[in-house]
Amino acid sequence: MNIPALSDTLFDLIRQQPNAGPGTAYLSREVEAYRSEPNTALFYRVFTAIPRFVGKQTLTVDKESAQRLNALRSGFSVEGWSVDRLARVWWLLQLPADDPTAYFSTVENLFRAAEMNELVALYSALPVLAYPEHWRFLATEAVRSNIGPVQEAIMLHNPYPAEQLDEPAWNQFIMKAFFTDKPVEHILGFHERANEHLARIVTDYARERRAAGRTVHPQLWPLVKPFASEADRTELEHLFNA
Amino acid sequence: MSFLETIRGMKFFDMHVHMTSRTTDDYQAMADAGIVALIEPAFWLGQPRTGVDSFRDYFASLVGWERFRALQFGIRHYCTIGLNSKEANNEALAEQVMEILPLFLYKEGVVGVGEIGFDDQTPAEEKYYRAQLDLAREANLPVQIHTPHRDKKQGTSRSMDIALEHGLAPGMVIVDHNNEETVKEVLDRGFWAGFTIYPFTKMGNERMVEVVRQYGPERIMVNSAADWGISDPLAVPKTAALMKERGISEEAIRLVTFQNALTAFGQSGQVSAEDLEQPIDIDQSQRYNGSSVLRGGQAPRVDKASTIIK
Repeated sequence: MNIPALSDTLFDLIRQQPNAGPGTAYLSREVEAYRSEPNTALFYRVFTAIPRFVGKQTLTVDKESAQRLNALRSGFSVEGWSVDRLARVWWLLQLPADDPTAYFSTVENLFRAAEMNELVALYSALPVLAYPEHWRFLATEAVRSNIGPVQEAIMLHNPYPAEQLDEPAWNQFIMKAFFTDKPVEHILGFHERANEHLARIVTDYARERRAAGRTVHPQLWPLVKPFASEADRTELEHLFNA
Repeated sequence: MSFLETIRGMKFFDMHVHMTSRTTDDYQAMADAGIVALIEPAFWLGQPRTGVDSFRDYFASLVGWERFRALQFGIRHYCTIGLNSKEANNEALAEQVMEILPLFLYKEGVVGVGEIGFDDQTPAEEKYYRAQLDLAREANLPVQIHTPHRDKKQGTSRSMDIALEHGLAPGMVIVDHNNEETVKEVLDRGFWAGFTIYPFTKMGNERMVEVVRQYGPERIMVNSAADWGISDPLAVPKTAALMKERGISEEAIRLVTFQNALTAFGQSGQVSAEDLEQPIDIDQSQRYNGSSVLRGGQAPRVDKASTIIK
């Protein structure tokens, strides 16, 4: 991943937003200070303070920027984000990654003291952090979270889970998305990572729903269909599509 | 007549309530009674904490989970962060808590340092009260002072003396849990006076009506301080109803149950009238789902009178 190019693209996007002047001036000033003398206290302070300076408006993302981002980091998109979320992700890209121990400790400390919007930004940043395999546990923690926006940050439009979660964690991820009524069509890798084990879990779940007199989500069937044997097919079709 | 009829259409800001110790039903009832915003001060949970991580997780829950839980019911949740006086007496732990406070004081929605002050009025309590006043001054945040139950009058005076010694303007300090005996000095010295309507141990709301009648609404604000004890999260709307019934003007009621708290804590830059007027995102995926408060598929409202549970 070309981090400098990605960083520039994100910064340009912040600059393009209406009334971005004071916010980008703040970010430029802080990044210069941080580059000339990197210290973690400054890094934490800016990460937390970002919304006070850049605001919280929803981003306007032009087609070219979206395409450029996707070319730099496949599956990565920022549509629907607020500007503070984008600026926080940009800020995380400024953290030097050459010393993994320092890198992990700085990012993990941000997670440990994060408020809700900070968690959203941190989980949105997983696809662009260095050492992608290191964040697998944290990604499963987001799935276990009770906070809707945090779950959405990991579940929707985020390429990280499909790339990094092992099969049991992926299956929990998918089931949690259904249990929390997320728009599952926005989960990246939803169809590609269908698997036999998940098909079994989904089938049991659908039977449980029917037994309780509840509805069965129409997006469940595509997870089962590729694994349905000819013998079971009629019964399953009835179960899922009744 | 239900008090809800009396206050229909009014909105309230409970500037001291410990929602961590309350149930989802309370949030529902508070929203129904017109509470649109609240402040949860960091406090003693009823069980002493033995490690700094317990404090860290508690502070994180005040800016994370609890804030989200409140929003499900259309209530904006703010907090004040601090080391409470009781636990300041464990000095080894207090030192570690002091170190992590700056990580939280600058978070969004943190509207002050609190609740801090005196409990037993020990030297350790004084030491950490002073240290936190300095943190508040540096961060330019208001301070929410808990005044002690025992030796209250002198403890309240002393809390104000020390705040001034540390260079805080009285207008940046909210002195809480006042009563008829403390209020005059607090107001005369230019501090904000919080009153907690809490059965048996603090103020009753009939007394509160008389305080407002005597002193007027300026710099006075009412809260419930509802927590794990016998307390009432509807204390603010109930007090507003009683004030209305007993002839206090609507403008005075608005000041002591809403506006003064907003003005005082608004000095943090973390809450404003404009913020409170923003519509809360009632996107179904946020409001009704996505958490164990309201599990997927469950109706957001449960008819409590029905025998049938679906």
